[in-house]
Amino acid sequence: MGFKVLVADDEAVITNVVAMKLRNAGLNVIVAMDGQEAYERARAERPDVLITDLQMPGMSGLELCARLTAELPEPIATILLTAKGFEIDRSEIDSLPILRVMTKPFSPRELLANVREALGVCAAS
Amino acid sequence: MIELRRVAAVILLFLGVGVGLHLLMDPLRDAGQPATAKAMTLGAGLALSVLGIIGGFLIARIPKERIDGVTEHLEDMARRGTVGMVVSEADADALGRLGHAINHYLVFVKDEVEQSHMTAKERQIQMKVLEAEKRHVEAVIHAISDGVLVMDAFGDLVLTNEAAEKIFGFTFDASARKPVEETISDRPFLELLHEMHETGLAVPHRTVEWVQGSGENARTWRVILNTVVEGRKHDRVSGVVAVLHDVTKEKEIARMKSDFVSNVSHELKAPLSSIKAYAEMLLDGEVADEAEAGEFLGVIAGETDRLGRLIESILNLSRLESGLIPAKKTDLAMTEILRDVGDVMTPQATKKNIRLETDLAPVFFRVHADRDLLYQAVLNIVSNAVKYTPEGGQVSISTYLDDGSVVVDVVDTGYGIPPEDMDRVFEKFYRSPHSAGGAGGTGLGLPLVKHVVETIHGGRVALESRVGKGSVFRIYLPAVR
Repeated sequence: MGFKVLVADDEAVITNVVAMKLRNAGLNVIVAMDGQEAYERARAERPDVLITDLQMPGMSGLELCARLTAELPEPIATILLTAKGFEIDRSEIDSLPILRVMTKPFSPRELLANVREALGVCAAS
Repeated sequence: MIELRRVAAVILLFLGVGVGLHLLMDPLRDAGQPATAKAMTLGAGLALSVLGIIGGFLIARIPKERIDGVTEHLEDMARRGTVGMVVSEADADALGRLGHAINHYLVFVKDEVEQSHMTAKERQIQMKVLEAEKRHVEAVIHAISDGVLVMDAFGDLVLTNEAAEKIFGFTFDASARKPVEETISDRPFLELLHEMHETGLAVPHRTVEWVQGSGENARTWRVILNTVVEGRKHDRVSGVVAVLHDVTKEKEIARMKSDFVSNVSHELKAPLSSIKAYAEMLLDGEVADEAEAGEFLGVIAGETDRLGRLIESILNLSRLESGLIPAKKTDLAMTEILRDVGDVMTPQATKKNIRLETDLAPVFFRVHADRDLLYQAVLNIVSNAVKYTPEGGQVSISTYLDDGSVVVDVVDTGYGIPPEDMDRVFEKFYRSPHSAGGAGGTGLGLPLVKHVVETIHGGRVALESRVGKGSVFRIYLPAVR
């Protein structure tokens, strides 16, 4: 398949399990432990899908997504993971290429389904 | 002919006396009249009475000396402002009888006059009492810590107190009534007052929140608005009363509470996410072999412990802060607590190849403290020091006496804390985004230290730190002499 997914979360236990789920499904996975690292890797590797935690030290998931959207020629389909659910500003999300907001605790199974959906959207466009 | 004259005389006499007495009574009825007006009406009354009597006697042709006697009596009464008898009991002729009738009438008038005097005096006293009460009410309104403003039907500011003057920054002059706009400039607040005045009949009471200013200086006021309704059918709004209560602090506390709950749930969700994800992976058969399955179960067990510790710390801190667990303070030796903490932390330090030194003075510095709480506070600091010090480093604990305080120093050669995070490390759930250790604590350890040392024991926590060099956490507690 050769699709590339970037996973950004400051908790290693989470990136580990998400990476494993996606790799088992045959996807290429890149992992970043904070916003800055994710930003740099996204610019260098141009992933097809970005899975990012909302709250990360330094740069938040939303800031990361906004910067990448502004700077890259093609938007990256993004799935936002958050423990904060209803506290996010909807208007901010709507202005970004965020396909899904998943609240923690989340299901890796569901996450994979969302990634597949995102890749479908990607392939279609 | 004589009969007719007598009748005319009697009529004139009564007319004069009647009108005169009526005028005489008048000033006594109305206590509010000025003294000169009162005296003039009194004089006119007496003069008319005298004229009436004299006129009546003249017409009746009664011997001059008798009339002179009666006249003298009446003039004398007028001069002294008293009411008495015009003839003596012995006079039994026609004039005498008339005189007796007048005497009777005068006695009645005298009683009335005295009664009126009494009523006037009572009224004066009542007015004084009312005035004192009014001053008292004004003083009470002034003493109220909430701001009070009263606007009348014309939109003039008619009453206010010191608190209101402070809120809006004006000085109220009760003698110079001015439209409320000339005193208060805040548009939204003025609109509140006018709106209340307009809709006051339908909605006589309203409580609204009004934010004054913006940014850090913004204050939130709970404004209680009431209309004063008058008129026979209660159909006229004659004024608006506004009472302003400062709720800035309550709002801040509510916000902090909500932030705390939000932070707590966020923190609880982190380990829960791992547990859920790893369990689901096992269920879906995503693991390659038994060894990996074991690893996953290990993660689940570890994250469950983390969740447990987190809940325990939250409960501990919340119980402490609410004062539900009273501190059991005794005189105890600081050295012993430090030795216990050192013993408990040594295995963890050794594991990371960190040298944990306890440099304890042979003298037992005593503090008046709750042993368990103080032990927990010191343990949190030392545990942090070990956590945030890289392998091969050093952590040392020492105690000494300084200016009446027992001081505990916990010095490490750890990652250090950047200046911008120094104050924030004592906030609940704050973890430095720069923290190089990534040790994943609860974010509640240092808030507990601060609460135990400063709030419960009246001491102080100080922090010195340099990035890349290490930190010194210092506790000061009052020494027991």
